[in-house]
Amino acid sequence: MQEKKDAMFSYQFPDGDRRLAFSRQSSFRHWDPPLPSPSPSPSPSPLLRSHSFKPYLARSDSTVGMPLLEKPGQKDATWVALILAAVRGVANGSRPMKRLALMISLNVAYSMIELLLGLFTGRVGLVSDAFHLTFGCGILTFSLFAMGISRKKPDETYTYGYKRLEVLAAFTNALFLLFLSFSLAVEALHAFMQDESEHKHYLIVSAVTNLLVNLLGVWFFRSYARVNIVYWKPEDMNYHSVCLHVLADSIRSAGLILASWFLTLGVENAEVLCLGIVSVAVFMLVLPLFKATGSILLQIAPSNIHPSAFNKCSRQIASLEEVLEVSQARFWELVPGYSIGSLSVLVKKGVHEDRILQHVNGLYNDLGIQDLTVQIDYK
Amino acid sequence: MPPSISLVLSNSLPISLRAFSRPRGSLNSFPIDSPPFFEAIFLFSISSRKMERHNSPASASHSQVIEVNIDIDRDASKFPLISNPSPTSNNKACRGGTCDLSYSKDSPERWDSMRKLVIAVVLCIVFMTVEVIGGIKANSLAILTDAAHLLSDVAAFMISLFSLWAAGWEANPRQSYGFFRIEILGALVSIQMIWLLAGILVYEAIVRLIHDNGEVKGFLMFAVSAFGLVVNIIMALLLGHDHGHGHGHGHDHGHGHGHGHDHDHGHGHGHGHEHTHDHGHNHEHEHMHSHGHEHQHEDQDHEANTIPTKHQHDHSHSNDMKESLIKKGNKKPKRNINVHSAYLHVLGDSIQSVGVMVGGAVIWYKPEWKIIDLICTLIFSVIVLLTTIKMLRNILEVLMESTPREIDTTQLEKGLCAMNGVVAIHELHIWAITVGKVLLSCHVIIAPDADADRVLDEVLGYIRRDFNISHATIQIERH
Repeated sequence: MQEKKDAMFSYQFPDGDRRLAFSRQSSFRHWDPPLPSPSPSPSPSPLLRSHSFKPYLARSDSTVGMPLLEKPGQKDATWVALILAAVRGVANGSRPMKRLALMISLNVAYSMIELLLGLFTGRVGLVSDAFHLTFGCGILTFSLFAMGISRKKPDETYTYGYKRLEVLAAFTNALFLLFLSFSLAVEALHAFMQDESEHKHYLIVSAVTNLLVNLLGVWFFRSYARVNIVYWKPEDMNYHSVCLHVLADSIRSAGLILASWFLTLGVENAEVLCLGIVSVAVFMLVLPLFKATGSILLQIAPSNIHPSAFNKCSRQIASLEEVLEVSQARFWELVPGYSIGSLSVLVKKGVHEDRILQHVNGLYNDLGIQDLTVQIDYK
Repeated sequence: MPPSISLVLSNSLPISLRAFSRPRGSLNSFPIDSPPFFEAIFLFSISSRKMERHNSPASASHSQVIEVNIDIDRDASKFPLISNPSPTSNNKACRGGTCDLSYSKDSPERWDSMRKLVIAVVLCIVFMTVEVIGGIKANSLAILTDAAHLLSDVAAFMISLFSLWAAGWEANPRQSYGFFRIEILGALVSIQMIWLLAGILVYEAIVRLIHDNGEVKGFLMFAVSAFGLVVNIIMALLLGHDHGHGHGHGHDHGHGHGHGHDHDHGHGHGHGHEHTHDHGHNHEHEHMHSHGHEHQHEDQDHEANTIPTKHQHDHSHSNDMKESLIKKGNKKPKRNINVHSAYLHVLGDSIQSVGVMVGGAVIWYKPEWKIIDLICTLIFSVIVLLTTIKMLRNILEVLMESTPREIDTTQLEKGLCAMNGVVAIHELHIWAITVGKVLLSCHVIIAPDADADRVLDEVLGYIRRDFNISHATIQIERH
């Protein structure tokens, strides 16, 4: 039953559980077929992959032909065409995409209603809640956009493809959640100083509705409802960030409900307490995601590879007879699961470079670096 | 470094130790607790002396990785013993030093920017305390919210300061490209804060609209926002003020291959002007260098070797160009992205202050027309968001590892393919660490009989000379 559920969500491990196999990943190589260029450009750009020493297809790379979000060659799309393209992209998208789109539309509808109600009845709390929800929806839309556009093939300007956008969307989500926790702390402080707590009562209905919608979202993304996740693919990060977003929102709504309930019970400073707890909880929830996405965006060395493995590899290369020196080895992660590196090797004069290239590439591929550029200097 | 140690190294060491004699800042030594630098030299000299005496390979007691920074001058003419390679030399690898993956410690541009930001922070804090005291005394919420606004300004400046400071950290094996990316992320956080504040202001305008029981005092709003406007203008002048210091001395060229150089390729490739893309820069351009740029642009198009022509134009158009050693005289002092994001923040704040002032004046004059306040705030918030779009686009491009705008890829490919020996180019990736620092990696296929070394030198030289990309990694393959 779990298997069936796993198969439904495309992000589960297709090749078996790889969480235990982190060192020798030779079983995941397969030959990289020359990719047909999807755009109608006459000559294949040299930027696309070819039969050079670029080995093995990344796990997260998709060769399934997905309809692109925008027709190539159509420069100025009108607004209607853009919206139609977006809708079409979502309709053809993966299942998490559709669920996210559903959630976003629910949230948008709900916040519109809240805003209008708040304006007409003159209740500030509803308006502030609506604003809050709108901001969150905007960020979720960015995540959705990233999901949709990340399947495009790399082109002239974005030579590494569009997968990074998912990491960026996850980072933006995490940032928003950090701001949220900070603002909740400020609100708690505000309530502490002002000591006026009657205005929360009529927000119960809105809080309950908010909680229900967000719990639906948590249910959609329930595999990601953990704080520390090992990221295998870029979509993992995006989904995780969306899940944390809705989780944090539901915690906040639950906190508000709890606070007003405590107030009716007569507990003093209930609001301050609840808001404070919620703020701390959201902060702790989002910090690992923030650090992980931040470290990818900062081009920190791949976190799933131990640094001693890098040393071992370079020592192995340096111990070859023709090799004099290994220097300037730099590695970074483009997206979780796809690492890129560059290396400089000093060899004796007159050595044929093919063998060395093959050897070096093989070594680092076993480590998990898919894309390696080796510069061979001759002494 | 005394060359004697280097001789000892290259001759008598076993391979395993020799492999560790690489410049500081490269990956392959990840010492858990690395001995400090001089201790390492000391240990090394002792061990080398021991080995000379006993003539045996290093004992197994060297379980610790010793990292030594020594310039190995195998060919003294080719690799001069300077700590940072000059942009015109033909170094294939950065020997010694961190090859400008971090600011050198005494970079004048960095200290300049930091000084400006520190002054701005101090000013902000002073004004904020004044406002808080005044607000508590007058018991007015409007003044306190404006003080909170200034607090957000301080936060933005702190982020910029931190990014500037962090950019000076040296690259380590875990962070092999240095810490320049932090300033991009810091700018992203700043811009998100600007958006957040714009949203909060619109929300406040709506609240003012809802609360029609007249507790909003138009005059107070007007006065407070006028004060905030004055403060913001002072800070904008402080941060955006680049006319005087810009060109003369160390600003771009202080360390020979810092920011100044990296922006030169902006001129040559059809996008010379696009390189600086904000309002502040535009007026610097206009009264100094716009002509200079056109000329350089044209020359680059017509001639292959444009260096002397550019040089001559430099002299004719800018009189305070002191460095004649630098061949590509860059006359655009590129504003540091940190200072620029702080400047954007302040600019956005002043625009919003104007909006609030207008709203306050309207409410003061005619309290029934509150809707105008809301409309005004909306319009001004949209204006603020528009000012951030350009920077956001740059940030996005850098973070997506896309080809920077100032590099003309087709010309690069054509130039590379036109070299003799080169058959084809694969996997060309050009990306930027931060705005202005560009890296390149590609695979070059050469003819089976070509000399790989020579082709490598040519390719690297071409890339460095014409596009000013200092870090290029080329993988040469034969057909």
